[in-house]
Amino acid sequence: LVATTGGDLLGFEGKVTARGNPILESVRNIGKEFGDIVADYQVGRTTGVLFLSLRYHRLHPEYIHQRIERLGRSYNLRILLLMCDVSEHQEPIRELTKVCLINNMTIMVAWNAEEAGFYLSTYKQFEHKPPDMIKERVDKDYYSMLRTALTSISKVNKTDVETLRTSLGVGIIPFNSVLYSELSARQSFADIARASSDQLQKMPGFGQVKARRIVDAFEKPFRNSA
Amino acid sequence: MSTLLSFHKDILEKIHDPSTSELILLARGLGLRRIVCKLLQIYDSPNNLVILVSASPEEESAIGEELGILGCRKPGLRIVGFETHKKDRYVMCILPVFLIPEHAWRQNLYKKGGLISITSQILTVDMLSSDISTEMITGIVLLHAEKVTPTSAEAFIVRLFREKNRDGFLKAFSDHPEHITSGMSPLRTVLKELQIRNVHIYPRFHVEIKNSLDLKRPDLVELHQNMTEYMAEIHHAIVQCMTTTLAELKRANTALDLDDLNIDNAYFRSFDMIVRRLLDPVWHKVGPRTKQLVNDLATLRRLLTFLLTYDALAFHAYLETLIASNTTNESGAPRKNQSPWLLTDAANVIFQYAKRRCYTISASAQKALNTAPPQIELDDDEDAWAALDELEGRARVPTRSEVHGASNAPDGPQRPKWLPDGMDPVLEELPKWNLLADVLHEIEEEMMRLEPRLTSLSPGSNTTLVMTSSLRTCALVNEFLSSMDLDAPRGARARAMMERKLKTYLWFKSNFSDRKQTGKGQNTTSDGKKNRPETDAGLSEALRRKDKEKRERAANRRRVRGGAPAAPTTREGSDAQAGEDVMIQEADDIAALYAPFRVLRGNAAPQGPVEEDITLLGFESDFDAHYGLLAPQQTVLVRAYSDDADDRMLQEIQPRFIVMFEPNLEFVRRIEVRPNASDSILIYERVTEQVYRNSNPGLGVRVYFMMYRYSCEEGKYLTGLRREKESFERLIKERGSMLMPILEERRPGSGESLIKTISSRIAGGRKELSTETSCVIVDMREFRSSLPSLLHASQLLVIPVTLTVGDYILTPDICVERKSIPDLVSSFNNGRLHTQCELMSVHYKQPILLIEFEEHKSFSLEAVTDVKSYAKSSNKYPTKKKTGTAPEDNERASASIQARLVLLTLHFPRIRIIWSSSPYATAEIFRDLKSNSPEPDPAKAVVVGAEEDPEAGAGVNAVAEELLRSLPGITAKNVKHVMSKVGSVRELCDLNLPQVQDILGVEPGKACWEFIHRGERTRRIAQI
Repeated sequence: LVATTGGDLLGFEGKVTARGNPILESVRNIGKEFGDIVADYQVGRTTGVLFLSLRYHRLHPEYIHQRIERLGRSYNLRILLLMCDVSEHQEPIRELTKVCLINNMTIMVAWNAEEAGFYLSTYKQFEHKPPDMIKERVDKDYYSMLRTALTSISKVNKTDVETLRTSLGVGIIPFNSVLYSELSARQSFADIARASSDQLQKMPGFGQVKARRIVDAFEKPFRNSA
Repeated sequence: MSTLLSFHKDILEKIHDPSTSELILLARGLGLRRIVCKLLQIYDSPNNLVILVSASPEEESAIGEELGILGCRKPGLRIVGFETHKKDRYVMCILPVFLIPEHAWRQNLYKKGGLISITSQILTVDMLSSDISTEMITGIVLLHAEKVTPTSAEAFIVRLFREKNRDGFLKAFSDHPEHITSGMSPLRTVLKELQIRNVHIYPRFHVEIKNSLDLKRPDLVELHQNMTEYMAEIHHAIVQCMTTTLAELKRANTALDLDDLNIDNAYFRSFDMIVRRLLDPVWHKVGPRTKQLVNDLATLRRLLTFLLTYDALAFHAYLETLIASNTTNESGAPRKNQSPWLLTDAANVIFQYAKRRCYTISASAQKALNTAPPQIELDDDEDAWAALDELEGRARVPTRSEVHGASNAPDGPQRPKWLPDGMDPVLEELPKWNLLADVLHEIEEEMMRLEPRLTSLSPGSNTTLVMTSSLRTCALVNEFLSSMDLDAPRGARARAMMERKLKTYLWFKSNFSDRKQTGKGQNTTSDGKKNRPETDAGLSEALRRKDKEKRERAANRRRVRGGAPAAPTTREGSDAQAGEDVMIQEADDIAALYAPFRVLRGNAAPQGPVEEDITLLGFESDFDAHYGLLAPQQTVLVRAYSDDADDRMLQEIQPRFIVMFEPNLEFVRRIEVRPNASDSILIYERVTEQVYRNSNPGLGVRVYFMMYRYSCEEGKYLTGLRREKESFERLIKERGSMLMPILEERRPGSGESLIKTISSRIAGGRKELSTETSCVIVDMREFRSSLPSLLHASQLLVIPVTLTVGDYILTPDICVERKSIPDLVSSFNNGRLHTQCELMSVHYKQPILLIEFEEHKSFSLEAVTDVKSYAKSSNKYPTKKKTGTAPEDNERASASIQARLVLLTLHFPRIRIIWSSSPYATAEIFRDLKSNSPEPDPAKAVVVGAEEDPEAGAGVNAVAEELLRSLPGITAKNVKHVMSKVGSVRELCDLNLPQVQDILGVEPGKACWEFIHRGERTRRIAQI
């Protein structure tokens, strides 16, 4: 349910009526309603969105100030949806950032009408959504956890993780030595943590730098003053 | 020892003056380190404070050592790193002095003067916080000048340095001219950032260098080895794949000027950079396909080198890992868009031949298995397994039989017992090994010939030096030399070694397939279980008991079969890994199958090592026959190329014979430059003048130079030579035409122009006078990015502290968390951003999230969607609609960055977002936000949010923290706590369960511990 102003929607260059608005065309799966409100779009009970195309802003720099003034203190979350459709975006964005900070507005930047429409519909959809999606995840299967952990070290890629898990020890420990029998089929995280730089360097696809990074990540203390 | 060649002296003469600053560009391998060391030695004095910047840890220690040899011992070069002060502090703790803060310790060090090497990050922080008084610095010696860019830390240092210290010298060195040649007027940019006017360029073709080197060319023998047929075939196929990939890349991006992309360039690592530079501006427009192609090129290039350096088995194993990681995606399902080259015929050739170099599966053996199965009721099962194995393209690992034994091995005296049935080992050796063996033989003869004519006066040792490109090859060559069988025919000398490797490989293989099946999910396993007849259990039970006894007798000797030893034990624990079960079952089946044979092998297993010992012994006893009385270590020394450190090694060893196993441009020069080379030849010739002069001119050093003919190695070497020459020519040309702008900018009193040099975009012709210095508090960790440097450039005072909340504090109310795009994606993924926003909202009135794009890169979030490689569907908007109904897990994977941003703003309505297209833009926005606002207080900022963290303000090892965070059970909330309790990730791994639970709490502690130690349990049982 998106409510928009019935009146003038000047975000775009020139006069575009709300109904022929390309942004609304890309808003799907959500009911639309047109009404007389201070914001351009209202995407929730407490969320209002102003829309501004930078190209329009360049021609009519005063427009957005009037709109913000009219907005007053309404809405809890106030979004300024910017459409970045000029190449010299740096100056206007800098200026608008300041304006928005003063007026308690949050800027979202979209690069085309489709993306802007996507923002609008997502705001509506996510209105009552819990923040789980951006919170720390709790459960995942072992391999992906291992992969995430090891690839957090720079230069380590998926192939390397595979190599680490399966072949730590190959070609390192003489085949007939006693140690060899202790190697199990899979290497645990702790085994990898205990591997020395020399061991790592002997694995296919590992060079000095990569080996050093891995060892550094595991062995260097967290705090240098600890 | 410290003999310098005439051109070294000449360079030093020109640059040693401490009142001038200059940039020295020297061709690689001409002894840059020697010059730097000599220069440092000249400046060494307690009255001077000379700082060495941006030396890598290896360089630091090597330079320190060399300086020690040169006589600067007390105190010599001191290295300030993240941990150096610890040792000193320990001493101080013993003394009745209380803990001295880190920076105070450094202050003290700086006051004492001398030579100090610091990482640029620490130096920046110290200069900003005035721990080091910039006026005191006598001069800076900067290595790796090629890495200086307008946004780099080195440029920042130079700016800080010049701000307060106009008299100190700055000597910048570089021996990578190729790096300076990319982009527009690169040399000028570097000089500008360093604020240097003079540049000295010394290519190899410089007159003085030519004069002093050409006198005594070493005796160079170039050996061009042909690749074996298979290798040539693979090589050709890889090049073909590369060409296809390149063509594909060009076709996908017709709008771009991709002339630079040719096969010649593709041999080099810098090729990736070229591609990225070309594609960066449009990176958001190119599809995932193009990105994949760029990645593929890197992979293929790696394959080329591996082909020439890895032994056949390692290469094959690497290919297999490659396929495995390419055909499945993160969740284990088959991947949608595979690399295109994997599907070409050429790729098939690569894989086929790579396998054929190792072993072949003989058809007869297969047939034997299929048509005449043994007379046990398990035969159906066996067939099924054979079929399954074939499907997976796997070697039949655990089968064995004597029937097919000796007949198959082509030239081995006897077929090894551990070889699986039906597998014919080919074990192709790298042709260079043989060449090496021959060369060593020749050297040996040469030495014998020379022996009587050498006196104790003659320099050099009989050590033969073998140089390789990497430690890996080095180890391989060593292994080859120590297990080489000289009597064997060419091509089979490394048979013993290769067989050992094959054995290891088979073991690896069984693990790999084990993993594969576990990864593939439950389907296969459950099928496997169904197939298995119940009767089998009873049958093999007895055998197993018997086997166990055997094993106990064989005391820890591991059998070749993977997974088998663990079989009986894990099997009893019914909840063992499903995938493992399959392997175990398979092993059991075959165990039952070959029951009679097992008795035989039970005896054979412990004999294995004994046999090998004998061969080793045999080799030892043969040794004298081949090498006289010399100890092996002295005769042949295998080393890897290691940059400037090679110079010292050459001096120490003084070999008369050098074998370059792989071509290396620098090393040839090093041999030329070796100061003793000239002397040795002179003295040597004096001694042996009458006899040798005519017959053997230039006997001093003989270098054997090995190269594969028509290979990428050859191409790489030649292109490398050409590129270096070209880049020097370009630099010299540029130097000729660019002096003017630099002179202009050095006009006195040009405080304003100083900023212009950093970026004309910031001042932009606009002049603003700020009377009071406004300051920004910056987190220490942020000094890795370029923003602090640019903030400083836009005349903001940068105060470095360690912050717990936020990255930048602009005013008492405004706190900014900076996220580059990859950061943003990853911190959304691991939920860190949520926590950070939570903290900021609690502590500051105006929490701000800064989303910073990179300069020259596209300013658009579209590019973001596939920074991380989660599966991207063709159209991202429609998929978002689906997420509303899809299960939670799916949603997280597919949610776009935009959707997550929306959610973030919904939950933190007070968070403002700054969208910045580049660090330059950020600096400007910051200045804007700061105008007319009160200044922040650093003391307060440090304390904010740090209540529960006793060590607030200390430096943090970011990589380790990141790794720790990714472990289960560890959240953003308790990570600080863990870090204060445990020293490193490694320490955490060594704790036992109660200890971990003590730190993390019962549930998370258990999760964490189990994650860390998963897979160990089976082993422990096996050990008992």
